[in-house]
Amino acid sequence: MMLIDCPFCGPRDETEFSCGGEAHIARPLAENKISDAEFADYLFMRDNPKGLFLERWRHSAGCRRWFNMARDTVSHRIVEIYPMGGLPKTAAAKSAYSASWRRHTMAEQAAKPARTTHKNASKARGAK
Amino acid sequence: MFKIGKSTSQMARLTSHSRIDQKRKISFTFDGKSYSGYAGDTLASALLANGVHLVGRSFKYHRPRGILSAGSEEPNALIRLGKGAYAEPNLRATQIEIFDGLYAESQNRLPSLSFDIGAINSVLARFFPAGFYYKTFMWPAAMWMKYEHVIRHAAGLGKAADDHNDPDRYEKTHAHCDVLVAGGGAAGLAAALQAGRSGARVIIADEQNEFGGWLLGEADIHIDDKPALDWIAKIRDELATMPNVTMLPRTTVFGYMDSNYLTLNERVTDHLPERPAHLPRQRLWKVRAKQTVLAQGAHERPLVFAGNDLPGVMLAGAVRTYINRYATLPGQRAIVMTNNDDAYRTALALDNAGARVTIADLRAKPSGALFRAATDAGIEILTGHAVITAHGNHRIARGFKWPPKDDRPPPLLVISSEKLDLLGPCRAGCHPLFTCTHRRAVNYNGMIKSSVSSHQPHMRQA
Repeated sequence: MMLIDCPFCGPRDETEFSCGGEAHIARPLAENKISDAEFADYLFMRDNPKGLFLERWRHSAGCRRWFNMARDTVSHRIVEIYPMGGLPKTAAAKSAYSASWRRHTMAEQAAKPARTTHKNASKARGAK
Repeated sequence: MFKIGKSTSQMARLTSHSRIDQKRKISFTFDGKSYSGYAGDTLASALLANGVHLVGRSFKYHRPRGILSAGSEEPNALIRLGKGAYAEPNLRATQIEIFDGLYAESQNRLPSLSFDIGAINSVLARFFPAGFYYKTFMWPAAMWMKYEHVIRHAAGLGKAADDHNDPDRYEKTHAHCDVLVAGGGAAGLAAALQAGRSGARVIIADEQNEFGGWLLGEADIHIDDKPALDWIAKIRDELATMPNVTMLPRTTVFGYMDSNYLTLNERVTDHLPERPAHLPRQRLWKVRAKQTVLAQGAHERPLVFAGNDLPGVMLAGAVRTYINRYATLPGQRAIVMTNNDDAYRTALALDNAGARVTIADLRAKPSGALFRAATDAGIEILTGHAVITAHGNHRIARGFKWPPKDDRPPPLLVISSEKLDLLGPCRAGCHPLFTCTHRRAVNYNGMIKSSVSSHQPHMRQA
């Protein structure tokens, strides 16, 4: 059973935590219209690597807060634990993040707000 | 010469110094017959002391089975212990510590161990090959429920307790420590001593009733110019005085999981005749250790030959343990087959205890101090020889030996004119014990590999 170092409570048994699946899955914004097949990448597709995996965990039997974890799925070695909403700092986890197939999906691009162009600049400013 | 079934009280007992207390006699029952042993005996050692070698029947063919080893690696001597709701099947006789009033039964035989109807499976073995049931019991389909009833009773070795409500109580406990030492033999004791002296919180666990491991079965080992048993006692006493050290005898480390999480099974009252009500029968320890020392030792790897499951075939180290630790001589006439020097110590121990020994050494030209000691003791040594077959009904009767060369026809060498009680093959090497590692990478270290002879005994019919 793994020993997980909760960033708020300290090292605790794995049984106190709930796994929240893959981390860094951004939801496409409604205004960025993408096709159903591209949306499916966000809704259904999940990664299952043999090696370093970035996932979310919740300390459900303790502080009940979320955090991110970079873990090796083969050895169960925890490489890094970093705050929810942030990105990993260690080199191995950072390269796992940028090399992931999800960074190149349309769904991920659509999660960012549309860029303000000259044409819609006034609209973006709120003018009529 | 021991006869099966007829045993006078402890006629195979030696009077030499051992770990049992020959002043405290203990009486127990096996298969309805009353025997006596001494405090510190296991059921296996007490039965051997009484000349009882046949202790079970094999699963399918009901072949007669005896005691092979002296420890938890025992595959044959499976016993049903206790009565009624406290009955527990499939316990190894080598691990059961006897107490007054112990009630034990053999398993998988009807009506008795020496006359078992199930042995008909052995006679008709050619009709019961592996997987025979895939093509049988199919017709007529209406008869299946009758077939199933018979099959269900034929399957399995031991019978569970009569009452399915377990009256015993079991406990769980959690513990943390700096160092967990799995195994209390020479290496484990030394590791626990160093760790304990440094102030670390130590838990040391050994599956046997006392610490010492394989050293308990040896009479000629010296550590720091002291007999090994004195060395063990000194370390054990020092560990007992340390408040940061927890010593757990009768405790098996059986699981080794992520992040140094280990599970231990402590047998708290199994060895007591009266079980105190305030104690659980067994206790499950869930330990989180900062560091783990695996010191579980090794099991002997036996050399293989036809008939090697007969009562009377034993591992060489086990024979030494019975002689040195339990003051029991498992046989009066023995053949020790080996491919290395260590079994020579068994031959010398048997010779010292008064048995007549022959050594069958697979190697063509053995040499060294132990070989010379055996020669000086007058033990017959047959080099370049191996045991090919062991024959016997309930006990080894004779063994055939054959030199393992295949270039010219070997001379026929048969020792059938003498009845053999004991065959001690083993020592193809030691098998490091990794049964409790779990999700851990285990690398085979080529350096520990045993010195396996390049000659393999040919399996030939006489």
